Amino acid sequence: MSGSSSEVNLKQTLRKLEYPLCAQEALKKIAELLCARVTNIKSMDLSLDLMAEFIFYELDRRGNKRCPAMSSLVELQLLQILYEFLNNIPNEASRNTLFLNLFSPITVNNRLGVLSKLVSLAIGIPSRSILIAASTWMQQLGNTSPSSCKLAEALVFDYAHLTPNTDDKLKNLSEVAPEFTANFLTAIAENYFIPNKESMLPPDVLLKCISDWVTDNSKLCISAQQRQALLPPGAIAMEATTPIAGLLRWCVLAPLYQHEQQIYSKLYLALLNSIMEIPRVNPPRAINVQHLTVIIQQLLQYLQDPKNKELLASGTNAMLQLALDRFGQAIQVALSVNAVYGHLDELFNGLNHLPNNRLLNIVIKRYNDSKGGPILIV
Amino acid sequence: MEVHLEQLDEDYVIQRAKESLKIDPYAAKAWMLTAKSLYPNNFRVQFDAYLIEKAAGNVKEAAKCFSDLISKFPQVTELWKEIEKVTAALRSETDSEEPENHFLCEMFKHISSEVQHKLLLFTADHCDDTMEHCRLLLLLLQRFPTAISSYGPRLVDTLMSAEKYGLDDNNCPINPYRKLLVCELLPLLAKKEIKLELTSKLLLKLLNKALEYYLCSLGKSNLTLQDKESSIETIWNKLFSVLEFIGRQLNWESQLINFTINWSKETYWQKLISYTQLKQRNVLYDDKQLLFCLPVFFLHCLYEYANSLVPEHCPGQILTPHYLVEAFIDPSLPNSLPEPKCKKRKGETDSTNPYITVEKQEFKSMQTNFLMCVNCWDLITSSETLHREFMKIHLHLNVDSWLSLFVVDHALYKGRYDEAIACLQKITDSNLLLQKYLRLAGIFYVKKNYSTCLEPILLALNLLPTNNFGNLSNNLVIGGNQRHLHFLPITRMAILQYLVKILLRCVKENMVKHDYSELSIGHIFVLVQLDWPQEEDFVPSLLEEIKKHRSFQYHLFHNYIINVDIMEELMYLWTPEGGQINLEIVPNLGSQRRISTRGADKGAKEELRQAIRRQVARSNEKLDELLVNFLQNERPLILQSLV
Repeated sequence: MSGSSSEVNLKQTLRKLEYPLCAQEALKKIAELLCARVTNIKSMDLSLDLMAEFIFYELDRRGNKRCPAMSSLVELQLLQILYEFLNNIPNEASRNTLFLNLFSPITVNNRLGVLSKLVSLAIGIPSRSILIAASTWMQQLGNTSPSSCKLAEALVFDYAHLTPNTDDKLKNLSEVAPEFTANFLTAIAENYFIPNKESMLPPDVLLKCISDWVTDNSKLCISAQQRQALLPPGAIAMEATTPIAGLLRWCVLAPLYQHEQQIYSKLYLALLNSIMEIPRVNPPRAINVQHLTVIIQQLLQYLQDPKNKELLASGTNAMLQLALDRFGQAIQVALSVNAVYGHLDELFNGLNHLPNNRLLNIVIKRYNDSKGGPILIV
Repeated sequence: MEVHLEQLDEDYVIQRAKESLKIDPYAAKAWMLTAKSLYPNNFRVQFDAYLIEKAAGNVKEAAKCFSDLISKFPQVTELWKEIEKVTAALRSETDSEEPENHFLCEMFKHISSEVQHKLLLFTADHCDDTMEHCRLLLLLLQRFPTAISSYGPRLVDTLMSAEKYGLDDNNCPINPYRKLLVCELLPLLAKKEIKLELTSKLLLKLLNKALEYYLCSLGKSNLTLQDKESSIETIWNKLFSVLEFIGRQLNWESQLINFTINWSKETYWQKLISYTQLKQRNVLYDDKQLLFCLPVFFLHCLYEYANSLVPEHCPGQILTPHYLVEAFIDPSLPNSLPEPKCKKRKGETDSTNPYITVEKQEFKSMQTNFLMCVNCWDLITSSETLHREFMKIHLHLNVDSWLSLFVVDHALYKGRYDEAIACLQKITDSNLLLQKYLRLAGIFYVKKNYSTCLEPILLALNLLPTNNFGNLSNNLVIGGNQRHLHFLPITRMAILQYLVKILLRCVKENMVKHDYSELSIGHIFVLVQLDWPQEEDFVPSLLEEIKKHRSFQYHLFHNYIINVDIMEELMYLWTPEGGQINLEIVPNLGSQRRISTRGADKGAKEELRQAIRRQVARSNEKLDELLVNFLQNERPLILQSLV
């Protein structure tokens, strides 16, 4: 933990300030270091040190882990400082750079609490600047990555469980920051309809909110893909996964879990409309075929479960047929606008293992007929 | 894979959509999206999807389906039927209470303007019926003003040739094609921001068509009486705006084609006059503008003149038209009328121009409107070209009824009696006979054709209005020496008064031909009674005449003389103080006297007194009926005094 004299001086100066006041000064310095025209490993290291010691209060002056961690009150002060500072950075690239560094893949596990509270604050106030930074962060770390999913879970907890009546805030979110909302949705979709998970079904407030979002803005799902995030120089932009496949999974599985249907019906139609609105690009990028294949696997798992064997035996179960109808419809519509990428054959092979459904048969037949035809498969 | 023989796949998918409609509209739509994506080239499926959206009342979705259908299946008959429904709905948009029409109009609004444009153009081109085709193109132009410059001229041609070849009776300017052309298309073309490329020949043709149309409409609305004041006003405004538009296109003098800002007939007339003066200096000036502007202005004045002759009336009252007639002067009366200075100053140098009087001050507009028409007509007839061109235009316009009346008025005003008689004698329209005879009688009197007068007087008498009683006029006789014309109201009393006055003067003036005509004197006594005491002045000289001849015989006395004043004067003549004039005015008395003895004379005197008393008792009888009877029953005796 040694460094040049200027580094030492800097740390000494900061140490004279009380925590969390020093955080503000440290942020200024870190922003300078990260967003300088020329950055080097040394200044990167220094900024990491400064974050750990002066912002997140993780290490003491000697580099030892602090115990205990900060109190709730101190955390609140820190959040305020972070919020103010980030919100007031005029340059989006600088803001994103700082945000990505503050919550880098290595450190984020420890800082997830602060992160989720910061983003929660940005939704509530709201701050489009910080939400865009958070969106970029989700995208760069992968919006289905465990960190993103944890962030999403924390936000849902704040807005759907703690304060279920503040759906206004959530309602506006899709207008304030559609790209964030899209990434947020992708992450949320991963969190539900996981068999044997404790809270398997999404809360009603959330469900209603999502179906309204997607219904009101059929371009919402692809909005993270539509907007290029501004990243630090040299960083590689990661492609955002759209929430389409994830949310479709909910809608297909919902009938099997006897969940209230009307709202899924609405969400499902909104998704189909969203698919129709996907701009034609070659190669397609909106839906990964593997994310659809996941649905097949889950359906098969459900049917193989001895508890659900009866259903399979009857074969005419209305709910199962509804699930299959939905799945077939979605595949057909997505294929018709050339929105699916990956090995489609795999998907169709999988479909053959599903119980008989007339629409699925039609869709499969249509696919087989058109193979080598106008639909481009990449 | 299972084969479903019983139902086609596409029918299955559509059926699922329809089934779901009642249970879950979201699911129904999902099925529809699926169907549409599965069978993008299947008209049946796409059309069904449209019908389902339509049945569900989803305007936006239906519009989307419909747009797809139009771009994918423009040749399918079933779609055409639907397109026809849409265009029909659009045309009835304003009064569309029908829910389907309303829906279709709403849907049309959600179709992209490109497709809207395409739809209307396609429909128009597919239309076998020319009228329908034109209506659709018009609809297109109304909705897409940008298309006006490209399709406007084409539509003008189509409408003109449709009118020429498509109608059984292409002489009537009021026909559906003309209506579209003039009322709908022209205003679109006239929009300021539109750039048009039309030849001046076509523009003039358009102007002509519009003039014909609007003037004929005026003619028609005239027949249905004046309730439509406002609509008539709009017709003129529309006509003026057409003239303005065409004139602008042809670069006409802006002053001549501006009818809106501070417009008045007087100022416009001044502009016309100064324009004609300019023209004489500069022969190159395109005089087409005068050929159109002057007649339009004249016809407007003429129209207002014709209109002012039938003044507005209180509700429930009978409309009273007025006609210009030759009226009377009495040089012995003071000249009560103010000098019409302004008229003289305006260069109407002819000092023989007559005075024109009206019944009431509020009818003054008859006079001013008339004089403006006279100005225009004088200008038109001053140039052979102008007159010829005007008559050409006039041939095509349905304004003959106004013009033929005015021509008579004009001839009267100018004192060209033979011309007036010639015009009047052409009139055969039964509605115009009364004024024909009235005015003929007046003219024959002025021309001193006293015996000829009686015929029209009696004919007019048969046509007296039965439901419009009216009053005696006060303005039929004025002082001074200048000729006098009067706008006579067509009421029973005023006409009777006028006819009686003519006859009275005819009889009086004819007396110079005879030595001592007791018959004429008697007739005059009868005739002066109607407008008593206004005509009192006729009496004293006649009494003198009787005194001179010491005897007065008038067998019609007991039938027609009931005026107490006249009887008193006669009785006075009969008395010793009056000169003991021999009066033979009691029927049978004369013959009795001849065979009676002197003693019977006394009885005769008594009988005369009795007779006078009887007459006095009748003095409250209605004079109009009395005079009508006199004129109708005593024709031969009256004629005697006129030859």
